[in-house]
Amino acid sequence: MLCYNNPMLITATDLNLRAGGAAILSHVDFSIAAGEIVTLIGPNGSGKTSLLKALLGLVPAKGAVVRKPGLRIGYVPQNFARDRSLPITVGRFLRLFATDEAAQAALARVGIPALHDRQLSALSGGELARVLFARAIAGRPELLVLDEPLAGVDVAGEAALYRLIAELRDEIGCGVLLVSHDLHVVMAQADRVVCLNGHVCCEGKAEQVLQDPAFEQLFGARAAGELALYAHRHDHTHPHPSTGSG
Amino acid sequence: MRGLGADMDEFLIRATVGAGLLGAAAGPLGCFVLWRRMAYLGESIAHMGLLGAAIGLLMGISPLVGVSVLAVTAALVMARAGDDLIPAGTFVGIVGHVGLALGFVLLASMETVRTDLLGYLFGDVLALSNSDILEIGAAALALLAGCALFWRSWLMAAVNGDIARAEGRASRIADIAFLVLVAMLVAFGLRVVGALLIVALLIIPPAAARPFAKTPEAMAILAAVIGALAAPLGLAAAWWKDIPAGPAIVLAASAMFAASTLVARVRR
Repeated sequence: MLCYNNPMLITATDLNLRAGGAAILSHVDFSIAAGEIVTLIGPNGSGKTSLLKALLGLVPAKGAVVRKPGLRIGYVPQNFARDRSLPITVGRFLRLFATDEAAQAALARVGIPALHDRQLSALSGGELARVLFARAIAGRPELLVLDEPLAGVDVAGEAALYRLIAELRDEIGCGVLLVSHDLHVVMAQADRVVCLNGHVCCEGKAEQVLQDPAFEQLFGARAAGELALYAHRHDHTHPHPSTGSG
Repeated sequence: MRGLGADMDEFLIRATVGAGLLGAAAGPLGCFVLWRRMAYLGESIAHMGLLGAAIGLLMGISPLVGVSVLAVTAALVMARAGDDLIPAGTFVGIVGHVGLALGFVLLASMETVRTDLLGYLFGDVLALSNSDILEIGAAALALLAGCALFWRSWLMAAVNGDIARAEGRASRIADIAFLVLVAMLVAFGLRVVGALLIVALLIIPPAAARPFAKTPEAMAILAAVIGALAAPLGLAAAWWKDIPAGPAIVLAASAMFAASTLVARVRR
């Protein structure tokens, strides 16, 4: 889906972030439009999570971040520390952020209606990941920000949830900003891939990024080759990826 | 304490009402102290409160005013504490102990009030006057109203502060209100259980309530009930066994925590 005519949700210009004397982000420009799925990739310590947090205002980065006024965001953080001293059910947790109706619908959509009355602290890692995803979509966000959202979810569930992300994008026209280590999934879903290593190394459609020398340098020629093959094959089996068929 | 005459009933009733109201108000607020792991902050605010009481006495104004002003100021300063190298908790601890040490120094320099020192450390609940009770009652009402008003914001922050902030749901006012209300509880609690024990009323009743609560609201209500019950139980023990009243109230709350933990273990 080409989205360059859609309204910008977040535009960041010249973001710089330092921590402990080291540069985490240098001169990063970034923007995401409504209806666009953008994935951030990069090796460990390349600043993916920091960039998300800077865009969300969670870390004090230098530079300009402009949000569309009143932007509704659904955020799934990389780490979610549960405190056993706080008794709260999944349903009550979701109702803090959305109506009961929307909470029930989101849980059903993610395939976990049965978790509604369970204690949040009693969930497995995979169940928690699904609950956090359900919470993020319950408020009908204009922008979904997902930081390694499906850690602990089994393979079949993961594929279904990534299909759901694309479905939601088509349905409510939200932008999706995703950090994932699973390059295969990333390549299959993204409208645009941004390759980060403290600065933006390269960006564009998945096929372009895969052929970029900067990507090869970052991930190695072998990964680039394998993924290029995958993206190519994928193109043939799914001529219209956004329909999610097959 | 036995055989003090006809006044005894009245000051015991005043103590029970005052400490009970304070305990009831401390319960719900204490739940958030527990959930947000802020016991350290509460303690440091209480230590600064002692300094506030000393400054109040030195300047000849009401110690309550001194405590309130200093506790609120300390809470707001400590909320912005911490940098890359020193963790926020350590910074908060340093500020609190500076307050405690300075408070001692100031109180020791005032010959006439030196005898009050124990009162500020462990409270003097049996000395509460009728107007004290009215003040504590008004404060307890304000604290409970504040809890109800900011409940949703505080709960979001307790569950996950990053989500609330990222999605623009976090309220700076709610964060500040929490610290101000903790400082207010400390200011009024100084008279009842003292600077060294006030945090006990914030953390023990919620901890006792936890095993029997399935929702945050149930835990807060149960904590309020346990906090309120600690007053008559503790004061009964104090009267009966002739032990200091403030510490007795804290021990009563602790006994309920022990019983609750035991019952929870057995049921599991």
